[in-house]
Amino acid sequence: MKKIKNWLLIFAGCIAAQAVSAQSRPPLSVDINYSIAQPLGSLKDYSNKTSFHGWTAGLQYMLNDNLSVGLRSGYQDFYERVPRAVYPDKQGDVSAVQSRTLQVIPIQATIGYAFTKASSPVIPYANLGIGAASMNYEKYWGQFVEKNNSWQFMVSPEVGINVPFGAYSPVMFNANVRYNYAPYKYNEITSFNSIQGSIGLKFHLN
Amino acid sequence: MKRTLYLLGTVAALMAITFSSCRKDPLKDMTEEESRIYITNHDSQANFTSYNTFSIVDSVAVFAGGSDAAKKALTTYDKQLISAVTTQLQQRGYTLVSKSAKPDLAVNLTRIDNSYTNISWNPGWWGGAGYWDPGYWGFPGGGWGWYWPSYYTVYQVRDKQTAIDVFDLKNPKGDKFTAVWNALWRGSGVWDTGNVNSMVQASFDQSAYLTRNK
Repeated sequence: MKKIKNWLLIFAGCIAAQAVSAQSRPPLSVDINYSIAQPLGSLKDYSNKTSFHGWTAGLQYMLNDNLSVGLRSGYQDFYERVPRAVYPDKQGDVSAVQSRTLQVIPIQATIGYAFTKASSPVIPYANLGIGAASMNYEKYWGQFVEKNNSWQFMVSPEVGINVPFGAYSPVMFNANVRYNYAPYKYNEITSFNSIQGSIGLKFHLN
Repeated sequence: MKRTLYLLGTVAALMAITFSSCRKDPLKDMTEEESRIYITNHDSQANFTSYNTFSIVDSVAVFAGGSDAAKKALTTYDKQLISAVTTQLQQRGYTLVSKSAKPDLAVNLTRIDNSYTNISWNPGWWGGAGYWDPGYWGFPGGGWGWYWPSYYTVYQVRDKQTAIDVFDLKNPKGDKFTAVWNALWRGSGVWDTGNVNSMVQASFDQSAYLTRNK
């Protein structure tokens, strides 16, 4: 009888402990971040300006303390105005001020891994996003626009930290760095590469 | 669950606001000068040092107001255009002669207001009724025509433009005279007299091959 009682106590303790760690925050969270992005590679040849016009937003579901899956989207606007220059093409020469823009809207599934317990004051994590991105290429020759819109495969590894506002707070500060790659080819862009830094908030929802 | 939906709604609304305000509009802070483009084409077969003389039209053909036929005009703008193009060609070593003196090159000037229609454009599409016909250049009989080589760029246009066409009168191909050089200006202010000199200058600057001096 005593033995059973002990077993029950141990059992109850385990369940309680698990409940505390797993339910320190509700498993579902939303996050919204402000982003800046630096173009790399051939994207730099097209538009060599850091983009300060961007955001990301996502939904995440914690499968346990460490592992999560999610869905996210975002927006980044690359823009550079190039002073008047003559662009030769095979048929003629065009003198123009070029305003080179690219708007990127990714939609990705994510899988994430947190390196510490949910109760730690800083939670570093790594994340991988895989999905597609809408590439909206608009190159203005003077006031005349040359447009191209297409969907591309996009993969985005990410590392970051979550800092809870208090031990079991459902609200966390988030900062992350992400690398974006898409095999996107159009005119001077031979592939899409950018490094993106974001800060924002993450809310665990009841 | 209600709270979740409420929060999601707020996030979606925030996203929509950010999304709409995030896009930098290239046209918003664009000056008239920045809005203009100057397109030049030339016949790759042409030997520009082989020409000595040129003559230029005495007015400008204007396509406007939805009419297919051009009317000749000689406004302040047109006078400025004639004089600026003449000066540039003289600087490139060509001698201005009257059209009766059998010039090697004929310079036709055209203004096009195509803002009323959406037409698929080929260089020289304006070479219709009212355009400078070869009869003006001393080739009467109606059999003569202009010819723009097929590799000239095709642009879709819906705006005001000005075109300069230089034709080879010396070497007709059959009954056609070949356009050896063409400049087309598009954008805001291309019909403003004050912009003529800089637009002519830019067009010649990007066409270094257009010269008799070697």
